[in-house]
Amino acid sequence: MAKRKSKRTIVGSPLTPTLLNELGALNEFPPSSEDFNLDGNWVNTYRIWTCHGYRESGNQNVGFIRLKRIGESGKAFVLNVHQEVVQTDGITNIIDATIKCRNNQLASPIEWKLSSRFIGADGKNIPGLSSNKNGTVTNEMGRMTGDWCLFEAVQRLKIGKETVLGFDMLEGQSLLKKDQRLSYRGLSKTKIGGEVISLYCFVQLGNGILPYEYWLDENHRLLMVTSMNKAYILDDKAEKVIK
Amino acid sequence: MNNHSTSNQTRCLVNRRDFIKLSGSAVALLANDTLTSNVFAGRQSSRPKPKSILLFITDQQHIDTIAAGGCRHVQTPALDRLKTSGVSFTQSYSANPLCSPARSAIFSGRTSSEATVYVNGRPIRSDIPNLGQWLSQQTDYETFYAGKWHLPRSYTSNIPGFKVINTGIGGFGYLCDTAMSRACEGFLRNRSKSKPFFLVASFMQPHDICEWLRLNMENTERLRYPEIADELPELPDNFEFDRNEPDDIRQRRRGNEPAKGKWDKKQWRYYRWSYYRNIEYLDAEVGRILQTLEDCGYARDTLIVFTTDHGEGLAHHQMVRKSSFYDEAEKVSLIFSWPGYIPENRTDTTQLVSGMDITPTLCDYAGIKPPKNMRGRSLRPILEGKSVPAKNFIVSEVSNNTGRMVRTPSFKYITYKDNSVEQFFDMKTDPGETKNLAASSRYASVLAEHRKMLRDWESRLDVPPNAPNADAWWRKG
Repeated sequence: MAKRKSKRTIVGSPLTPTLLNELGALNEFPPSSEDFNLDGNWVNTYRIWTCHGYRESGNQNVGFIRLKRIGESGKAFVLNVHQEVVQTDGITNIIDATIKCRNNQLASPIEWKLSSRFIGADGKNIPGLSSNKNGTVTNEMGRMTGDWCLFEAVQRLKIGKETVLGFDMLEGQSLLKKDQRLSYRGLSKTKIGGEVISLYCFVQLGNGILPYEYWLDENHRLLMVTSMNKAYILDDKAEKVIK
Repeated sequence: MNNHSTSNQTRCLVNRRDFIKLSGSAVALLANDTLTSNVFAGRQSSRPKPKSILLFITDQQHIDTIAAGGCRHVQTPALDRLKTSGVSFTQSYSANPLCSPARSAIFSGRTSSEATVYVNGRPIRSDIPNLGQWLSQQTDYETFYAGKWHLPRSYTSNIPGFKVINTGIGGFGYLCDTAMSRACEGFLRNRSKSKPFFLVASFMQPHDICEWLRLNMENTERLRYPEIADELPELPDNFEFDRNEPDDIRQRRRGNEPAKGKWDKKQWRYYRWSYYRNIEYLDAEVGRILQTLEDCGYARDTLIVFTTDHGEGLAHHQMVRKSSFYDEAEKVSLIFSWPGYIPENRTDTTQLVSGMDITPTLCDYAGIKPPKNMRGRSLRPILEGKSVPAKNFIVSEVSNNTGRMVRTPSFKYITYKDNSVEQFFDMKTDPGETKNLAASSRYASVLAEHRKMLRDWESRLDVPPNAPNADAWWRKG
């Protein structure tokens, strides 16, 4: 007998915090720590959630990314990145990167080390697929950043229409995407976890990407990033959810 | 060489103001990387054989999406590089403008109805070998697969004839393609260069436009990003459509998001803008693999093939996605590159070619005969600049064998089962397929010739009797 397709409702509109809440992708955000210092040492972990475009099915958590900022003062700081993305049949791609960033508006990368490896469903390394990369940027006048660096930098941007930045971006510290621009979009209020919160939004547009929207709370903490059908959602338990 | 040392390659990217230096290395133990003496042996023979073969497949890529091919709406440095390094075909057609059926034709050289992949999610019939099975049985190429398969599972670690190095993520190009291309990079950096390989790198993008459509169906008065208003691509010349089309195509249009969301022209143009960004995303991931080939010294000895399962509506005829016989969904990129053996930067605008030609072509380059009953042909003579008579026609089909298309050098004939409305276009004078000539008495005899071509073609096929509409076509007419 032929399978009957269950009725599915098309989402119809782009992902926003309100919509993510409606779709069950987020219920609350971790409370902001009193000593959270944007310019200091912190760790933010984001759950990576993807949407198939239907309300009832196909939406799932597919991984997480953990960013650790080290360095309280000076001209540079270190950003440690750990990302795990789960693929079909239990294969996981694990990225580790250590990026020395300039302490400027864009957290411009100065030098970095990156490794990519894959593990199977048994948790063991899959041989023959790993790679390492090192990189440096040598022109101090540059307007360069990376997609992971932006997660740090956007928290330090001044909220207001005057914030408009132009730059080139290294996606995953390896693929150059030119002619990016980031600007402040505005403030919106959203009810999440029974609480109305104010969210400040920056928008990134440019070559090789669908628009990114960065959503910050009143403490400038980056709560989520949305781009087309994926969302990075601040979630202390993200690693447990995935594993 | 110390077995614990790593191979290092350094390259530089230059953006407007910065100088970026990247070096990559493999982390696994390396075998002796010295090229064996027989690597170039084939070059002395009359039928040179590439050391390795890399087949790129993308998903739902409109043929006019490469800057070097004339597309003004994208920046595609990697695809430009590929296109200018080899031969590309402009009259290249999918054997079935739907994912699994198209892929079955690419990997079997047979029609999707013969392979019994008449809809998505079916396996290739067990008595027809796929290209991986054939090459691994008949040659010394080791066969590897990364990314989307869809015959039957979209993403799987089990593909007959291939060792799967990466499965991808179901349904999402953004994350899937990055992980897949990173796996290919690791594979190439770690692999001993003495072993010939056939690697398929199968991307999901720009298929993410399907999710985009569902997340942007509702028309809004205001553009979501007003700052791109001046960048939105114009609508295609054939944006309007014939109100007397066959029901099959009208129903498909009515079921799509633009009709449900009652899009205006601004929304259509925003959809096109978004699609082109997905193309640029894809381009960067293709670039990662091409760069790795270069870094690791494979580039000169690798035959690269680039193609797509099917095209994308992209607002032509107010269509989105696939499954129509109009050129926007039917035409696909087909590029072959092999430095020194395939001419650089050549575009073939006359030869009719099909996804079914890929298997016989790759078998030809691999130095073996293809499996029996190929419906396509080897394109190698064309790629080597030999004088080859143009093919009289190619045939394509749609889901469940409910429709057929015959493309000849000058015309396109489209017919659907149990539907008296046929379509017939003069592709020389009306490449946008806007004037249906099927009812014109002036074209009656040439239309009859096309019907006969289809009937004769179908009568030669080996379609299992239990396939849907198995005998509908050769009886028709």
